[in-house]
Amino acid sequence: MRVILAEDSTLLREGLVRLLLEEGHEVPAAVGDGEALVSAVAAYRPDAVVVDVRMPPTHTDEGLRAALEIRRRWPEVKVLVLSQYVEKKYATELMSANVEGVGYLLKDRVAQVTDFLDALERVGAGGAAFDPEVVRQLLARTSQVDPLAKLTAREREVLERMAQGQTNASIAQALHVSQSAVEKHVNSLFDKLGLSHATGYSRRVLAVLRYLGS
Amino acid sequence: MRLAAEGLRLLGAVLLGTVTALLDLVFLLPALPFAGRPAVRAVARRLAVLEARRLRLDPAALGLGTGHSDGRELRYLAARAPVGVLGGLVVTLLALGTEVAVKLVWFWGRGLPIDGMRPTVPLLAYAALGGTVLLFLDLSGMAGVHALERRLALRMLGPDPTEVLRHRIAELAESRAGVVAAVDAERRRIERDLHDGLQQRLVALSMLVGRARRGRPELLEQAHEQAQQALAELREVAWRVYPSGLDSLGLGEALAGVAERSSVPVKIVCELPARPPMAVETVAYFVVSEAVTNAAKHARATAVTVEVRERDTMVVVCVQDDGVGGADAAGGGLSGLARRVAALDGTFTVISPSGGPTTIVAELPCG
Repeated sequence: MRVILAEDSTLLREGLVRLLLEEGHEVPAAVGDGEALVSAVAAYRPDAVVVDVRMPPTHTDEGLRAALEIRRRWPEVKVLVLSQYVEKKYATELMSANVEGVGYLLKDRVAQVTDFLDALERVGAGGAAFDPEVVRQLLARTSQVDPLAKLTAREREVLERMAQGQTNASIAQALHVSQSAVEKHVNSLFDKLGLSHATGYSRRVLAVLRYLGS
Repeated sequence: MRLAAEGLRLLGAVLLGTVTALLDLVFLLPALPFAGRPAVRAVARRLAVLEARRLRLDPAALGLGTGHSDGRELRYLAARAPVGVLGGLVVTLLALGTEVAVKLVWFWGRGLPIDGMRPTVPLLAYAALGGTVLLFLDLSGMAGVHALERRLALRMLGPDPTEVLRHRIAELAESRAGVVAAVDAERRRIERDLHDGLQQRLVALSMLVGRARRGRPELLEQAHEQAQQALAELREVAWRVYPSGLDSLGLGEALAGVAERSSVPVKIVCELPARPPMAVETVAYFVVSEAVTNAAKHARATAVTVEVRERDTMVVVCVQDDGVGGADAAGGGLSGLARRVAALDGTFTVISPSGGPTTIVAELPCG
């Protein structure tokens, strides 16, 4: 994949560039602020961008605003956002339209190299990647406590992984069960939560995330 | 001896007060129709200053030092004239009593009668007792007139006590709000220090270790180095939050630490006979630390001089650099310092003409 990085800490930016190159990705540009990111995307049209939320000049949400602009102007570019904290507002803004090729990870997740690379692969392939911590907080904050209480422990695990953007195959692998078992859990929890059986993988993630974020 | 000198001084003050009361009247009566004129008010002010000096009151504290005049002085001069005249009467009584006493001693001492009275024992006792009581009453009257004069001046020229309290409350409310704002700003800075510095380092370090585990063992050495740097950064951040050496080693040592850390040469003179209160030390430290940082970062200075001295009951901190000047006292760092200093009832001045040099002075009262 051709990936552009936006991260203001030089040290971290260099480390990420090296990591991506070692993994066989191309990095046509690595920048330190939101404006430079938008112009770099305009110039290179990468497959994906990895962007830090907090960047100069104000260190608030420049990265997120740049990410939303890129989604709007070049919908084919995948966006993986790194955030210091779980901000529900950011997560919901990012997935407002669809979650195809969108990721929202906690910045510390980068330290778990394998997880980070998997998330980038998923987003690059047009899937979704939401940090387990983001999903956990959405689950904890959800106002619809009662329907969730109806889920079995297994169904809850499946829901969490589904919300992170994992496919049935990877959920089955992680929980050491068959794919058909996962599909059964998915169907039953969709019924319990009153969600329509959304076909298509990212729409399913979107449904779950919207449900949790509501 | 001192009592006698004090008594004479009091007598002089009251006597002078009588003379000035008459002079005041001479000025007031013709000037009254023109009371609104600045020239008349200016003369009244000068007279009031003289009165304040006579009463050993500070003219500046009574608000007589400023150029603004609202006619207070005229009213005061009018009000004090009768008191001055009263003082004159009291002094006259003293003079009369003294004359009688001298006469008695003079005549009776030589055995001569006064008004046909010879110095018998009952008469002597009567005169001595009566004279003493009258002398006491008169001296009390003189002290009373003087006290009355002082009170009148304070009351009519000095600020209204309610006004003073109101002003003080406003001042305190403002400095309290300022402290809260300063603390919040500090916290934001600490959060940013941690996130934009230390966290990035640690994430980068973990990433290096992750890459090393994915088959690049030669990266471990680099990771080790980065871990050392992260530790150094942590030390720096913690020190910026609160210099731990300040409590144990005192201000001088902590300031020496600031000089060591600074990229610009800093000369520190810290001459305090005793350790000031902790709150004063802390504020003094942050004033120096922030000013030195600014000098290096914004003023492009090549030398900074820091002086910390005691003056009366104040600790005076003075930081001067030879940089380009133009420091903004309303800017984030300096306004935060100003608030911290104000919270201790101190004064904070920034003199920074464009082109330099910049001088920052903080005066911190101790107790």
